[in-house]
Formats: sequence, structure tokens, C-alpha cells
Amino acid sequence: FKMASSFWKGVVGVGLFALAHAAFSAAQHRSYMRLTEKENETLPIDIVLQTLLSFVMTCYGIVHIAGEFKDMDASSELKNKTFDTLRNHPSFYLFNHRGRVLFRSPEEEPSSVRNQQALPNPIRLRKLEHLH
Amino acid sequence: KREKMASVSEMYDVGWEEMRDKLRKWREDNYRNSEQIVDVGEELISEHSSKLGDDIWIIYEQVMIAALDCSRDDLALTCLQELRKQFPDSHRVKRLSGMRLEALERYDEANKHYDAILQDDPTNTAARKRKISILKAQGKSAEAIRELNEYLEQFVGDQEAWHELSELYINEHDYGKAAFCLEELMMTNPHNHLYCEQYAEVKYTQGGLENLELSRKYFAQALRLNNRNMRALFGLYMMAGRGTKENKCSMKAVEEMLESMQITMS
Repeated sequence: FKMASSFWKGVVGVGLFALAHAAFSAAQHRSYMRLTEKENETLPIDIVLQTLLSFVMTCYGIVHIAGEFKDMDASSELKNKTFDTLRNHPSFYLFNHRGRVLFRSPEEEPSSVRNQQALPNPIRLRKLEHLH
Repeated sequence: KREKMASVSEMYDVGWEEMRDKLRKWREDNYRNSEQIVDVGEELISEHSSKLGDDIWIIYEQVMIAALDCSRDDLALTCLQELRKQFPDSHRVKRLSGMRLEALERYDEANKHYDAILQDDPTNTAARKRKISILKAQGKSAEAIRELNEYLEQFVGDQEAWHELSELYINEHDYGKAAFCLEELMMTNPHNHLYCEQYAEVKYTQGGLENLELSRKYFAQALRLNNRNMRALFGLYMMAGRGTKENKCSMKAVEEMLESMQITMS
């Protein structure tokens, strides 16, 4: 993927350069016309073609660099949102929940060391399966 | 000694970039899966800190808060000390040390921390919100509600605070005021089907003729915004059986409405 993105960046670069070149050529042609007093001649077709083609190339390249497009429908990107995450207010998080006791390491509980050592690790292992 | 478990990257065959991107996703979407954050984040900072660059500071913050959730006070302190070293006079870091004190239930010290921040910078919203959270943690819900109302009078656009206030009102069974908060949220987020659905649920709980009518309308609105919202669908079916004899919403009418919204059995 990294290779692909530098290719498209190259495309945009070439497109922009060609656009600048076409503009420069047009300006030169214009001044040449003025010098030779043939001001009624239109721009040569190759400059016009170069402008259009480089414009299209630049647009096409930028679309590939820009990243993923979002849906136009404003509500569609909310379709997967659930209360699980909406209900969390990070600025108001409380810490006086049972996690403070549940996750306490076995060393701090000398009385029930035997039972507790068996328990926390399997639960943690099972929960890690949700990582993907 | 804690047993050495296989590292996260070995178990799931992920590279450090994917771990960093996962952490970013969890951070941006407000996930509170603290165990996972601690496991992934701890490995990231202990083994890949040089590759992370400036991202590491925000990861320290994220991991510290998750560590407080998981009772990993050692890890929380480590992260906090790294942040203090890097940003010695930062209010944001001060707020984090206040949060650590809150987790240790040293609320008076935490309050002093936040008061110091507010003296320095009276517009600091984060410290005010933490003070309100302390009131909530101590069970002083009436005071918390009052403080949060005062906060919202000044900072009317704070959506998180409006949602928090609605939750506080619901806990106090003051459904009228909770509905008002949700109305504010619906006004600023007209495309969010979840606010519509929660509003409809609050109205349904309030009961009474007009509230049930409103509730039905907002369940339908939620379904229009997202035809996969199961709770709103259930709410609508509940409405079909309710109501007085005059405006009883028949099952047939509900089915027609659902067909028009293209919600099928699939």
C-alpha cells in the first residue's frame, strides 16, 4: 500500500508540473502572438490538450491519495454506533467501581491466594479474544 | 510475581503500527475496554516507545486512565511520571494526577488539585467536570446536578455534559428534566438515531397520553434514521399495544409503517 500511495503522489506531481508547463507555454504563446501581431489566432491545440489532460490526471491522482470517502448520508455513518460507546463520557469517568477490587493482583490478598491465582488469568485470556 | 504471558503481538500476529492504530480507534470512539488498552498499551510503550514519536504522550494518557480502571496503580504512576517529566507545568497532567488521587479515593486532595487549576485558569472545563465527578463518586447527586447545571449555563455547547446531566436526572427518576437534556442533544445532533431512541424511552417511562404519543413518534424517527436499531423497533412494537381506545395504534398500522421504511424480517 505504501508503494501505491507514492505512485499516486508521483501522478499528482507530474500532473501539476504538466499544468504549470501548459500555463507557461500559453503565456509564451500569448507574448509571441503579441510580438508577431497575430493576436486573433487561438491557442494551439496541443497546449489545450495538455492542460485538460494534466488537470484530469491531477484530479484522478488526488482522489487516490485523499483516503476513504465518507457517505453523503449523514446518518449512515452512525448506523454502527451503539450506546456502549455513546454512553461513555471520558471527562466524567468514575473509578469507584468493582474493577478496583476485581483486578487487584493476588499478592495483595494473602488470605485467599490459592483460589485467586487461578481465576484472573483465564478471564483475561478469554477477553483478549475480542481484540480482532 | 505476575506470570509472564505471551505478548499481544505474538498472540495476535499484529505489528506495532496496528496496535497503535487500534489504540487510536479506541480513543476516538470512546471505548472503555480498559483491560485490552492496558495490555496493548503497556507492550507498546515498553517495547516500541522510540518508534512512536510524539504519539507516545497521548498513549501514556490513555493507558494511565485504563490502568486506573484495572487497579494497575504501578503502571498508572509510571505513565504519570513520564508525562510530568515531559510537561511539567501542564494543567492537563495536573488533571491526570487529580484523577489518580480520585481513584485512590483521596477526594479532598484531588479537590485541592482541581481548585489550584481553576485558580490559575478559571475557564478550564476539564477541572470543573472532574469536581462534578467527585461529587458523583461521593454520592452527592443533588449537588452534582446543581453544579452541572451551572456549568451548562456557561458552556451550553458541551454535548458530553448534557448527556451526563440526562443520565444523572434519570438516576433521580426526574424524567421530565432528563427529556429536556435529550431534547438539547437531539437539536444539535438531528442525525443521531440513538438520542431519538433514548428520548423515546424516557418519554415512554414518564407515561401519560401525550408522552406516549411523543414516544411513538420518536421511536419511528429513530427507525427512519437507522432501520437497524433493534431497541427502537422493540419500542415501536410496545406502542402498538398501548394507548387509549381512541388512538390505539393497531398492529396493522405499525406493520404498514415498517414496510414503508423497508424493515423486513431479514
